[in-house]
Amino acid sequence: MLKLNPVARKRLERFKAIRRGYYSAIILAALFVLSLGAELIANQRALLVIYEGEWYFPTYGDIIPGETFGFDYRYETDYKALKARLAESGEGVVIMPPVPYGPLETDLAVGDFPPHAPSIDSGHYLGTDTSGRDVLARIIYGFRIALLFSLLLLFFNYLIGVSIGCLMGFWGGTFDLIFQRIIEIWSNVPFLYVIMIVASIVQPGFWTLVGIMVFFGWTGITWYMRTATYKEAARDYVMAARAIGASNSRIVFRHILPNSVSTLITFVPFSVASGITSLTALDYLGFGLPPPTPSWGELLKQGTENLDSLWLVLSVVTAMTLVLMLVTYIGEAIREAFDPRKFSYYE
Amino acid sequence: MNRFALFFAALLFAALSPTVVAAPETLPKKLNWQTNLGDPIFASPEAVRGGRFRSFITTFPLTLRLVGPDANGSFAHYLRANALALVDFHPNTLNPIPMLATHWAFDEDGKTVYYRLDPDARWSDGKPVTADDYLFTLEFMRSEHIVAPWYNNHYSKVIVEVKKYDQHTIAITGAVPKPREELLYEYGLRPTPAHFHQLDEQWVRDYNWKIEPNTGAYQISKVRKGKYVEFERKRNWWGDNKRYLQYRFNPDHIRVKVIRDINMAYQYFAKGELDTFPLNSPRFWHKKAQGDIYDKGLVGKIKFYNDVPQPSSGMYLNEDDPILGDRKVRYAIAHATNVQKVIDTVLRGDYERLNSQYEGYGDYTHPGIRARDFDLARANTLLDEAGWQERNGRGIRVKDGRPLSLRVTYLSSNHSDRLVIIQREALKAGIDLQLQLLDPSTGFKQILEKKHQIAWMGWSGGGLSPVFWEFYHSDNAHKPQNNNITNTDNPEIDRYIMEYRRATDKAARVRLAHKLQELVHEQGSFIPTFKVPYTREGYWRWLKLPPWRATRTSDSVFATMGSTGGLFWIDREIRQRIEDDDLEHAKPSLIIDETWRK
Repeated sequence: MLKLNPVARKRLERFKAIRRGYYSAIILAALFVLSLGAELIANQRALLVIYEGEWYFPTYGDIIPGETFGFDYRYETDYKALKARLAESGEGVVIMPPVPYGPLETDLAVGDFPPHAPSIDSGHYLGTDTSGRDVLARIIYGFRIALLFSLLLLFFNYLIGVSIGCLMGFWGGTFDLIFQRIIEIWSNVPFLYVIMIVASIVQPGFWTLVGIMVFFGWTGITWYMRTATYKEAARDYVMAARAIGASNSRIVFRHILPNSVSTLITFVPFSVASGITSLTALDYLGFGLPPPTPSWGELLKQGTENLDSLWLVLSVVTAMTLVLMLVTYIGEAIREAFDPRKFSYYE
Repeated sequence: MNRFALFFAALLFAALSPTVVAAPETLPKKLNWQTNLGDPIFASPEAVRGGRFRSFITTFPLTLRLVGPDANGSFAHYLRANALALVDFHPNTLNPIPMLATHWAFDEDGKTVYYRLDPDARWSDGKPVTADDYLFTLEFMRSEHIVAPWYNNHYSKVIVEVKKYDQHTIAITGAVPKPREELLYEYGLRPTPAHFHQLDEQWVRDYNWKIEPNTGAYQISKVRKGKYVEFERKRNWWGDNKRYLQYRFNPDHIRVKVIRDINMAYQYFAKGELDTFPLNSPRFWHKKAQGDIYDKGLVGKIKFYNDVPQPSSGMYLNEDDPILGDRKVRYAIAHATNVQKVIDTVLRGDYERLNSQYEGYGDYTHPGIRARDFDLARANTLLDEAGWQERNGRGIRVKDGRPLSLRVTYLSSNHSDRLVIIQREALKAGIDLQLQLLDPSTGFKQILEKKHQIAWMGWSGGGLSPVFWEFYHSDNAHKPQNNNITNTDNPEIDRYIMEYRRATDKAARVRLAHKLQELVHEQGSFIPTFKVPYTREGYWRWLKLPPWRATRTSDSVFATMGSTGGLFWIDREIRQRIEDDDLEHAKPSLIIDETWRK
């Protein structure tokens, strides 16, 4: 059982008391967990196939070639065709996910031209994009990628930013001075241009993109950490710890960091939001993840190029607004929960 | 003794510089000078001069040079269009017509053509175009300083000599005898302003942004880097009273604006900030080109069938790649490429399947060659035979632990939806195609440096007969910066290419061209995709066209320059009225011109 100290418990209670933020947190967490199982929600692979008495769970793992189910091909089974066939003959059962399309699957028939409008009959609840891929499926997978990207970015940015900021505040002196200058220079490098240059030479993958963004993104948090550390290091309890003979690392990790973490946490939701927006922006500009990766930015681009197919731009804008709104509500609530004053008056 | 010394000196001189002939030569006596002023003109006498025509390109040119590194971009055609040839071909009758030369005559050796230069011809700086400018072209094109191996080779091995008889008479000799029309076409030469160039190691850099004097109707008047290039119509252009140049090139200014995104460009067009817009893409023609401006008749649509060599769009497989070096794999990829599905779905049935790299060359086009069909069974058999039997968990074929993954480099995000379908279909054969979208300049560079695996692109077609040496001769393989982007290196193809280049008799050339097309088809390193035997454009109705609209060989109805271009004109009064919203609404206009449909 996790035991929280009284301050943290109080903050948690306050956070819970702020309904809007609390529910937003629950919804976003639920969405994230659901998106981790996106393969079970939107997929061209069936959830369960019962064929000739055998049970198959094709969702995860290797592809099952069509031959297995009596088709004459060795590539991946078309489960929708299998479902139709088995439903007719009654030889077995196929259970498809709620959205029976994968993010990369092109659903095209001769003589009809994508993008298709939303339709319940076809199973494209939000329609298809210009290549005939399901918009909902791409939104779900795009959400997962954007969020994971953003969380990874956050982790690395904070890892580097907090360490350096903390050391700057703790050691002070020349180290502080040198790093201040480095960071000032660093944060003036126009990172979008760097990405554009890199993207015009090689197509960046997921990890390269994380790498580049961390390379330029870690500076932001250092200032806050530096200030917080300076403040904490001057406190009496740090002096006391030092007097007892605590080592530097003990002071930093056991005393200063936990006490300055509140500054950090208030920034987290906003960093997540900015991570999502920057990936979307890069994808929109064509410097992001390579096609055909499902991505909100790419969908947004298609949407703006095809304003006559309104469902494209509507779905992605709605999804994006929703997620960014949730994140902002959470951020607001956290900030308030960590504020030691219960009431503020603004004039 | 003295006479001997002089003789030897002259001999030595001649041996050292075979092209720069000092002593005036005498023309052969029995020359049959020809010209052609009898074909119908294809421009309209009703054309009115004036106005500014606004057009766009998607990337700013990397240079304004006509040759040298990066000089082969999409902007180059504007520059080349204003470098007139000695003789051009009538766009409808395909007969030779005079340009910079008024007359031409053929030597009995079958490889030399004599030209009488038009004494009226002027460079844009006012200097006359003389025989020396043609001599200089040879020196220029052979120079190492221009860093253009193709030109170096062409002007030494294909065109071997230029002779000057007087200021306005020259002869050009090619390496091998050819049919007469081919002589005019293949051994043609454009003059290079000798007074403008200073050839040295710095040339490529020094002349990168210099504006070379030209002979055409337009000259660049303004360059804003990254933004636009503006051309200005020459006042009192020397060509204005020549039969095939009069009534043409009517706008006073042509502004070529850089708009990096084609959809953005369409918005510019819809707002009337561009005069025309290419609507070849089905998405534009069927879906985007709709709405008020069309319904009110302010913007017209035209679909004009032409009859020209087709651009060779398709997938170029780099044979130097270890996987693609195997012919069976190349065949298998062709059989796993579902072009028809792309045509039937995202392309709305508008495009047609291209069958070979050499369509639209009349007799030269092999009638029997068909592109390899989408046939998964064949693809599977071929890949099994090539040793790619195993499949990994994703269903991708594996050989010696290496998956059958190939990078497809392409240059326009508009092609993503086509490629996504091809990618999904290829996966069925266990081939993993990874799409790599690059900026056109960067991507083309990568392809020319032969660092690609599969290049999704097209070369524009042209000429009277197909060319093979550039694309398939081993001289160009395994070296950067030439058109053999498949790195084809096949002795049999080499042998036939050389034979084809030497042949003069048309029947023999046709036979060899057919044989070569068979061999190229067998080589399997090019997978043809689409052809579009027409041009479709949208245009603001202030643009006026002659009654025949365009010519047999027009690849754009509203081309501003070039040998079929400059036929339209701007009606400034209507333009003003449209812009003031003072025009009575006209009926929507859709023209489908099938005059030249095959």
